[in-house]
Amino acid sequence: MSIAEPHSESSSNGHSSAASALSSAALRQLIIYFGAAIAGCTLLMFALHYLASAFSSGSTTAIAVDPENNSISIYLKEEPPSLNSTITTDSVSGMVLNHVMEGLLRMSVDDKLEAGIAERWEVTPTHATFWLRDNALWSDGQPITAADFIFSWTTALRPETASEYAFLLYSIKNGRAVNEGTMPAEALGVSAPDPHTLVVELEQPMAFFDKTVVFPTFFPIREDFYNATNGRFGADAHELLFSGPFKLTSWVHGSSLLFEKNPNYWDKDRIKLDQINVAYITQDANAAINFFKDGKVAFTTLGAENLIEAQRQGWPIKRNQDGTLFFLEFNHRDERLTRNWNLRRAMQLVLDMDELVYKVTKLPGFKPGVSIFPEWLMGTNAPLREEYPPPQLRLDTAKAREHLALAKEELGLDEWPPIVLLTSDSPVSNIQSEWVQEALKSKLGLTIKIDKQIFKQRLAKMTAGEFDILLAGWGPDYNDPLTFGDLFASWNLNNRGRYMSDENDRLVREAQGSTDTKTRMDAFGKIQHVLFDDVALLPMFERGVTYAVHPQLKGLKRRVIGADTDYTNAYIDTSAGGQ
Amino acid sequence: MRAADAFTPLAQDQAAAISSRPSLSYWQDAWRRLQQNKRAIFSLYLIIGLLAFTFIGPMIWTVDPSSQDVDQISIAPGADRSAILVKDYEPWYGELSEDFVANDNAVGLTFAVAPSTQSVRLSWQAQGERAAGGYRIYRNLFPITAGRSLGLPLAETQSLYFEDRLDLRPIDYYYSVVALNKRGEDSDLVATLSTTVTRVITRREAERRGLLGAAEQVAYGHEFQLKLHPLGTDYLGRDMLSRLMHGARVSLFIGLFAPILYILFGVLYGSVAGFVGGLTDQLMMRFADFVVALPFLLFMILFKVIFGIGPGESGIMPMLVAMVVLLWPAAARLVRGQVLQIREEGYIGASRLLGAKTPYLLLRHMIPNTMGVILVTVTFAVPSAIFTEAFLSFIGMGVAPPTPSWGSMCNEGIKTMLTHPHELIFPALFISVTVLAFNLLGDGLRDALDARMRNRE
Repeated sequence: MSIAEPHSESSSNGHSSAASALSSAALRQLIIYFGAAIAGCTLLMFALHYLASAFSSGSTTAIAVDPENNSISIYLKEEPPSLNSTITTDSVSGMVLNHVMEGLLRMSVDDKLEAGIAERWEVTPTHATFWLRDNALWSDGQPITAADFIFSWTTALRPETASEYAFLLYSIKNGRAVNEGTMPAEALGVSAPDPHTLVVELEQPMAFFDKTVVFPTFFPIREDFYNATNGRFGADAHELLFSGPFKLTSWVHGSSLLFEKNPNYWDKDRIKLDQINVAYITQDANAAINFFKDGKVAFTTLGAENLIEAQRQGWPIKRNQDGTLFFLEFNHRDERLTRNWNLRRAMQLVLDMDELVYKVTKLPGFKPGVSIFPEWLMGTNAPLREEYPPPQLRLDTAKAREHLALAKEELGLDEWPPIVLLTSDSPVSNIQSEWVQEALKSKLGLTIKIDKQIFKQRLAKMTAGEFDILLAGWGPDYNDPLTFGDLFASWNLNNRGRYMSDENDRLVREAQGSTDTKTRMDAFGKIQHVLFDDVALLPMFERGVTYAVHPQLKGLKRRVIGADTDYTNAYIDTSAGGQ
Repeated sequence: MRAADAFTPLAQDQAAAISSRPSLSYWQDAWRRLQQNKRAIFSLYLIIGLLAFTFIGPMIWTVDPSSQDVDQISIAPGADRSAILVKDYEPWYGELSEDFVANDNAVGLTFAVAPSTQSVRLSWQAQGERAAGGYRIYRNLFPITAGRSLGLPLAETQSLYFEDRLDLRPIDYYYSVVALNKRGEDSDLVATLSTTVTRVITRREAERRGLLGAAEQVAYGHEFQLKLHPLGTDYLGRDMLSRLMHGARVSLFIGLFAPILYILFGVLYGSVAGFVGGLTDQLMMRFADFVVALPFLLFMILFKVIFGIGPGESGIMPMLVAMVVLLWPAAARLVRGQVLQIREEGYIGASRLLGAKTPYLLLRHMIPNTMGVILVTVTFAVPSAIFTEAFLSFIGMGVAPPTPSWGSMCNEGIKTMLTHPHELIFPALFISVTVLAFNLLGDGLRDALDARMRNRE
């Protein structure tokens, strides 16, 4: 043992020195490999960066406001599914279409109806006539004629087009019959006595027909161009023909879009920007805010959680109402508890929408809901709600409990079963539905089950009536109170809870059939009282949007009807300070 | 050569038979060595504390986790909570008190009454033609410096008054009123006024919150202390501490129950497969391989459907079933390996010769000898189960509102991470600490239970 020890020591010594020599060689080699790897990665990075900037349409060089090229960069929430105006339904397509197309009429900067492709127009109880401009041209230089409108409208109505918004054209004589396939497309009540006159026969007197023609479904499409695209109309930038202020010159799907000023637009002097670069398509609100912070986009939407940061940065913050009303809709079908008036009344008496808007939602654009008609709708001369004040609601928990006890008796219940609240999966409606759940639990002792669904699933359940209470929203299709007023008519398919009231139906028919503004507004004034007394719905809030705009970008317009973000009147003002 | 008596027998030494240390059983020894591992013992105390927090905590802190205190939404821990009693809210249409005196700033902007969290009422003087488009009211959290924006636009109005009720907190605000030109754009005519808002509560609210008895006579202006929320509140004014306690129930229920169930099954399955061996073993282990290949998330959703878990109902049971059904093979494999090894040991053969039957061998020799491995697997499975629950609740597959769970609390908190970080930090901290404690304890147990590390000191 005493011999073995030094031997083993020496051997281990020799071993370790050999190992250290070996490891230092290995170390050197490792360092060389490491250096080579880093150099390779750096090279690859530069190469990829160069390639990316060479092939992507300039999105890496996005500048929020570029006075040299007179262009701005923005982002879109999502990719437009299709720019075929006869079939689009979503707001992003609507925004893009409103920049590249113009219809017969358009909304002015002050949200008044003004002449577009038609230089003047006239609506009588039986007919609407539009006289088109001689100088209105398509982006390829050909004149826009009445035939282009007739073609577009008949296309939208053809059953094989399956346009979801075809019902807007039902106001035209035989529109519904054409859409249902019982009449040929030629039977539609539109005609062109000459290429620059368009005569529309109306199905029934409709005082606001001119207000509906600003909607994208009414935009013109030229027949020869449409047929040349072989059914791909609106699927790409070169599969479109433009009548509006801008041309879509590039559309890289999923990544970017580029608008350039349309030199053939009849009113091109109105347009001050040369280019609008949609540099990013992202749903991520935080990503958009970071782009804005880095000066890459000129506009960003702000959520409640971003407001403090926006104030700290000193960004110019703006807000407006987007025109949408959110409300709790009850299911009035026979097998549902919510058909009971006392139960609905009890809920009406305890839900404090002021608390919801001011303390829970916490966004400055939002307003507590008081009526089915939002604040921005115009009456005869003044806003509708000023001319016809909505019913006042006085919250009263004690009275609500009395109604609840009555409801229990009428329904013959021993115990309240859970009530299902159908809602979307957005974060804002999560908070709101949890608030409703707790308010009804703590004040009335009702158990609410929240049924959170994605859009399509929710739509299916709404249509099938699989809910007790529905958290619903309704955005206007045209600038007339009827777009909200007929929501609860018994024949309206959007009346998801099958609310039925003879009085309401009578008033809606009166408002639809009359051409006298005063009579119609009187009817709307009564509708809001009928719906309030029957508790057909509980208006929750009118949605608003809060956003930040680059200080040098002026003239950006947010709209209730038409493009929700409208850059057609925007311009760059270099005198204003940078960010 | 030496003589034969060169070797003498050694005298018998009595001392050699006395052992120097007390005899210890396997478990006693393991416990002793665990106690020497400070990290593991600390983790053990943490876990005991956590169990007390979960099961005894709600008995002491009896606040309902789903009750909403809308006066204190997103309150940070330790925030001031004094409030002054005021009259019930009544709408305001711009009436001014008789002794009202307007300020002498650009538009005569004045607070009509003392600003409170109930409402801030602004009043200003008509500017005629210079305000053709009406007025816009801004609110800012930060002092307004030249060239910067005025802050948050609250409203546009044609009237000469405005009432702000939007998310008022007892802090400083800077209000500005701007005259608008005909097109509705801001003009240069601006007045700014700053204020510190006081927190108030109405009599009705005070009664509903139980701060004031119905018959109690308290003068307006009396100062209250609002309900205490030691860890603050979430985005709906719900008590964080109470939610954490109730959330821990869900997390620990899944975290403890699921691993115990599936490891128990895995142990039985694995020991049978390992002990019987041969074709049975092959078949059983191939089936285990098949189960490993099944995707967890998909099955979780399938179970949710099969169970008829409707909307708005808790998905905890299908989560438990999915875990038990899908996660046992890992434990089964481990135990099978151990059993295969132990089966060849001499004492098993001896026991078999003495006539022991299979169940006896399994229960008496096999499972006790694999106990160390099993315990370690359990302690490592617990944190992963807690994490799975948190993850599934985070993506909305777990508990139904208003039931809290740590994962769903994180999901809610992440949205307000920048403004109210405590809503994310607390549940995240609890998840992290729990997972870490179980991992460290598992680590310590593995060392302590490893028979080969015995008597190594």
